[in-house]
Amino acid sequence: MSEPRTLGTAALVRLVAKREILARIRDKNFIISSIVIIVLLVGSLALQVALDSGTEESRIGLVGDTPGLEQALQAQGDALDVDVTVVGLPDEGAARTAIEDEDVDSALVVDGGSYELLVQESASGSLEAVVQGAVSQLSVAEQLAEAGISELDVPSVPVTALDPDADQNSQRVVAAVIGAGLLYGLLILFGQFIAQGVVEEKSSRVVELLLATMKPWQLLTGKILGLGVLGLAQIVVIAVVGVAGAIAFDIVDIPGDLIGTAVSVVLWFVLAYAFYAAIFAVAASLVSRQEDLGTVLMPTTLVLVAAFVVGIQASSDPGGTLARVTSLVPGLSPLVMPVRQAAGEVPVWEVALAVVLMLAAIGLIVRLGGRIYAGALLRTGGKLKMREALAAERA
Amino acid sequence: MLEFDGLHKSFGDNGVLDGVTFSVTPGSMFGFCGSNGAGKTTSMRIAMGLVRPDAGEVRWHGRPLDQDVRRRIGYMPEERGLYPKMKVGEQVSYFARLHGLDGAAATKASDEWIERLGLGARRGDAVEKLSLGNQQRVQLAAALVSRPEVLILDEPFSGLDPIGVDSLAEALLGQARDGVPVVFSSHQLDLVERLCDSVGILARGRMVATGTVDELRRRETGRLLRVVVPDSAPEWATGLTGVRVVSERAGDTVLELADGADDQAVLAAALRTGRVTHFAWQQPSLTELFREAVAVPTAEEMAA
Repeated sequence: MSEPRTLGTAALVRLVAKREILARIRDKNFIISSIVIIVLLVGSLALQVALDSGTEESRIGLVGDTPGLEQALQAQGDALDVDVTVVGLPDEGAARTAIEDEDVDSALVVDGGSYELLVQESASGSLEAVVQGAVSQLSVAEQLAEAGISELDVPSVPVTALDPDADQNSQRVVAAVIGAGLLYGLLILFGQFIAQGVVEEKSSRVVELLLATMKPWQLLTGKILGLGVLGLAQIVVIAVVGVAGAIAFDIVDIPGDLIGTAVSVVLWFVLAYAFYAAIFAVAASLVSRQEDLGTVLMPTTLVLVAAFVVGIQASSDPGGTLARVTSLVPGLSPLVMPVRQAAGEVPVWEVALAVVLMLAAIGLIVRLGGRIYAGALLRTGGKLKMREALAAERA
Repeated sequence: MLEFDGLHKSFGDNGVLDGVTFSVTPGSMFGFCGSNGAGKTTSMRIAMGLVRPDAGEVRWHGRPLDQDVRRRIGYMPEERGLYPKMKVGEQVSYFARLHGLDGAAATKASDEWIERLGLGARRGDAVEKLSLGNQQRVQLAAALVSRPEVLILDEPFSGLDPIGVDSLAEALLGQARDGVPVVFSSHQLDLVERLCDSVGILARGRMVATGTVDELRRRETGRLLRVVVPDSAPEWATGLTGVRVVSERAGDTVLELADGADDQAVLAAALRTGRVTHFAWQQPSLTELFREAVAVPTAEEMAA
């Protein structure tokens, strides 16, 4: 049996982080919430696919051999967004049977120069338009040919789009808004996990045993890193499933844009998580009972809600003053900046400034919060004021 | 040598410790007694770095305790502390790892201690599912699992049934035999008397008595004399020089003799009043010593 050795900070932090991860992945709530998120994601993708495939289908039976009619029907179908399938049928009797058996939706009976469309109850507008268009086109062509006009000079109409990016843009924005929603949900979820963990250690007094072996900041770092690894794993899984699903189901036009947005959301998650996890942990250290958590977490939760609301707003007005300012404010930026980036051009310096401000804020919170946390951990009973905790740390 | 040296601490205006000093030699057990609020827990928490003293320090082998030394101390806090939802085996091995054992050694040591403390069948259960007595055993396993060099236990016996007390006492004696200094606080003074090599009595933030139980006794012996004269006349002893009657009940009298008072004169007086069936110096129990030490401010204290 080996002798106990002196543990460095890295080893202690790793031990704490590992315990957090193990404790959490065995927790039913965590497992259920993870499954629910994935199911919701796949469900919404499936819904998107179902809504997109709204193109009409029509099987048209064709009795009588008229050269070019089948091609004309197909062409009309394409023009009118109806997926036309033409089925050749031998005679009118067969056509009637096919309609009754629902093998075809309708049947076009051609007898020399006369046409008749057979349907079960009534012809839909688009079906009539397809058939009418095809027949007119064909007969106009025939009559022109009879009149000796073989080549007709029809001018083609070129299309010029004024905002060719609009469609892609809106897809990116939708992805970014979903991403911001995801960030918001995960931050609240993991913030709660952290806060509950801190209070559990405090209320069960196990923290006394822990602090006999390590410093408060080592404990805090281990907890935040452990849950952070889980949170990151979760958001990466969600991003990969979401992006892969969207590409596989052909929901997006330009996969590269979507991937870019997903990556930026994940990177902002890392910063936002460090920021909010530290705040939640420090706030939680001020109380000794789970019942008191709500009160101390409320202000931070409200900031998160506000950030989410501003983020949604930024999607419609990415260049507005509100969006520009809030995308720089630490704490708000992670939910606003990715949306702005997706919705329009953001100068690189603004993104860089937002990141730097966020990092500075994290540094400040970890330093100051770490002291509050250290002072508050061993003070049980009632709710502590931040000033008292700071004073206790110095005592 | 584990030394508590001149610990002072006050919380606001409330002075808790006023110069607590004592030492424990390796391989001996030190019983820490004192009324509620006397400062036992605060002294132990100072040793564990959970409270900062205003003055004084705790040393092990002459070196003030720091984080590294503290990792070699097995500690049991007064308010028990375990993760309620963590399994017994994992919990104990987690604490072993925090105290510096590597993974395999931690698992092995954890299994051994759980088995030794009779919790083998509960290894896979969450701590919150165990009875309080069993949780206490897990707490002890967490303190012992890293083969500590020093044990500091705050009220380890409270809440245990007699069997639990015996197995804990056995475990602690075993540790002491292995050369570990053991400090524990307790209100069960008979237990302290039975187990401890030396005892410290804390009152109002000061050590009012330290030493072996025998030493403490010797300080008190020569003062209390029990005389049984079944058919004595009432108040036969009043009026004897240097003698104060502590209690008198149906011929059973306890007398306190001042320094220089003649015990043979007391015996003669007793014989005059009837047949003497018992005449002996009292061996005070630790409980009596404790009452004595805690109740009356000592001369030193009055001077201070």
